[in-house]
Amino acid sequence: MLSDRASPGLKLAAGAGLAFLHLPILLIFLYAFTTEEKSYAFPPPGLTTQWFGIAWNREDIWPPLILSLQVAAIATVLALILGTLAAGAMARSRFFGQNQIALLLILPIALPGVVTGIALRSAFSMLDIPYSTWTIILGHATFCIVIVFNNAVARMRRLSGAILEASADLGANAFQTFRHILLPNLGTALLAGGMLAFALSFDEVIVTTFTAGQQSTLPIWMLEELVRPHQRPVTNVVAIVVFLVTVIPILLAYRLTIRGTEIAGGGK
Amino acid sequence: MTLAVEFQKVSRHFGQVKAVDRVDLAIAEGAFFAMLGPSGSGKTTCLRLISGFETPTSGTIRIMGEDVSRTPPHLRNVNTVFQDYALFPHMNVRDNVAYGLMVKGVDKRSRLDRAEELLAQVKLAGYGDRKPGQLSGGQRQRVALARALINEPRVLLLDEPLGALDLKLREAMQDELKALQKRLGITFVFVTHDQNEALSMADSLAVFSEGRIAQIGTPADIYDRPATRFVADFVGSSNVLPPGLTRALGGPAAWASLRPEATRLSAAGPVTGTVTALRYQGAGTRVLLTLQGTDIAAFVPAGQPLPEPGSTIGIAFDPAALHVMEGA
Repeated sequence: MLSDRASPGLKLAAGAGLAFLHLPILLIFLYAFTTEEKSYAFPPPGLTTQWFGIAWNREDIWPPLILSLQVAAIATVLALILGTLAAGAMARSRFFGQNQIALLLILPIALPGVVTGIALRSAFSMLDIPYSTWTIILGHATFCIVIVFNNAVARMRRLSGAILEASADLGANAFQTFRHILLPNLGTALLAGGMLAFALSFDEVIVTTFTAGQQSTLPIWMLEELVRPHQRPVTNVVAIVVFLVTVIPILLAYRLTIRGTEIAGGGK
Repeated sequence: MTLAVEFQKVSRHFGQVKAVDRVDLAIAEGAFFAMLGPSGSGKTTCLRLISGFETPTSGTIRIMGEDVSRTPPHLRNVNTVFQDYALFPHMNVRDNVAYGLMVKGVDKRSRLDRAEELLAQVKLAGYGDRKPGQLSGGQRQRVALARALINEPRVLLLDEPLGALDLKLREAMQDELKALQKRLGITFVFVTHDQNEALSMADSLAVFSEGRIAQIGTPADIYDRPATRFVADFVGSSNVLPPGLTRALGGPAAWASLRPEATRLSAAGPVTGTVTALRYQGAGTRVLLTLQGTDIAAFVPAGQPLPEPGSTIGIAFDPAALHVMEGA
């Protein structure tokens, strides 16, 4: 019979696994405060907050940061529109080839980034599309749509179909039903999906390297910075920024979807 | 007399399944009409054909004389009280009730005033600010009713309106719905699988079986003179006599129904059988006996002598009470 309690060995192994996953992240934070700028010596010889000021004044950080925010914001908006529409089609009707199309919609997130990146790159060059902010946005939108789609479709399936019928019964046309009934009930799911999509886009590296051309997003700037020997802790400061911009939306999204289940379940 | 709802040879098939099959139906304006039947008999599909959520495979549907066979739900002047009510969870009660006027573009002030009036009519004044999740089942039902009435429909459809309520509340709501319908004077069409509910509330009812209407009539018609064995069985409590027994009891060789209330016990009966059980029912006792292999119930009013279970006895009845049914 299976025991409810884990053995000490298993607990130890699980603890070690978690430590292996998360201690390096703590080191990143630690090295943002080190006085040593050329190598990551452990333990740090001294602690300082000067790198935050230096990072603020480094002019080469701002363009990648702004580009990353811009790309993430636009890719998220695109994903919200297209992902919601796709979810509407999938959840509310049955049609020929539906499962295949659903699979195609989800595929970009399952495909390795390298494959998506190469595919987009060759498509862009075949169509003579010059690399620009828009090519990065398109690359990111491929997987951002999936995130929004998945969130929206799950909520729509839980939503009682009867409330949409009730709306039509009371005289609402399709648009009014969408605006007054569907959208408010999808709200938190869309917000969560949008924030996750934003976070994913903000720290994406692989697809971006294939679609960015000469521009650098913040993660790519960090990769390039790692090979340079001076002012290394600045990279760690930026890493903290990326961490915060990514983790906070994901945590908020998690809380929203948890609470969303109660809201959507209240339909009956 | 105007017909509120009229079906002419209406069918709704889902692939091979004939959910509704060549149904003719005429519901008079101002009627309290019930559609009764077991689940899967087509009654709910018929209701959805009236509301417009199903379109007929063939046939014509008219509402107040107008052909609506292809009219989408939001353009029909009928409203529905849904099973489980389908209240909008993100809106408060007042906005739920006012929804029908909001989508018509009625200004906020007048539509909320009107919603309050309707809430008062269903005895929910003061509940406007609550969310549906904060109401009891009976209160939600009243909100659903008020919401469906705000557009002043000519026909109100009710889908198993009392199914989710407990027994006591259900009986109170039956009286209230009946009174409301009288006061408003509009046509109510309600679907139920509960024969008592249908018989006690409706002016007339249709009994559905396998996508067709087995019988249409007043509650008395259906109860006293069931047209088929199915109706007699489903509407219940009537004795169904096979041809051999009908004949042995002095009737023709045909299927017949006989109400327990019209059946007396008689030691001199032409056919005798064994008493299997006695069921006390307040105003009297229902005596169950087996005659020629058929279970028969007889009603003995309180105060009259009762037979012992296992004893042998026969039945007697006024020949007029024996109702011969058509078909098998």
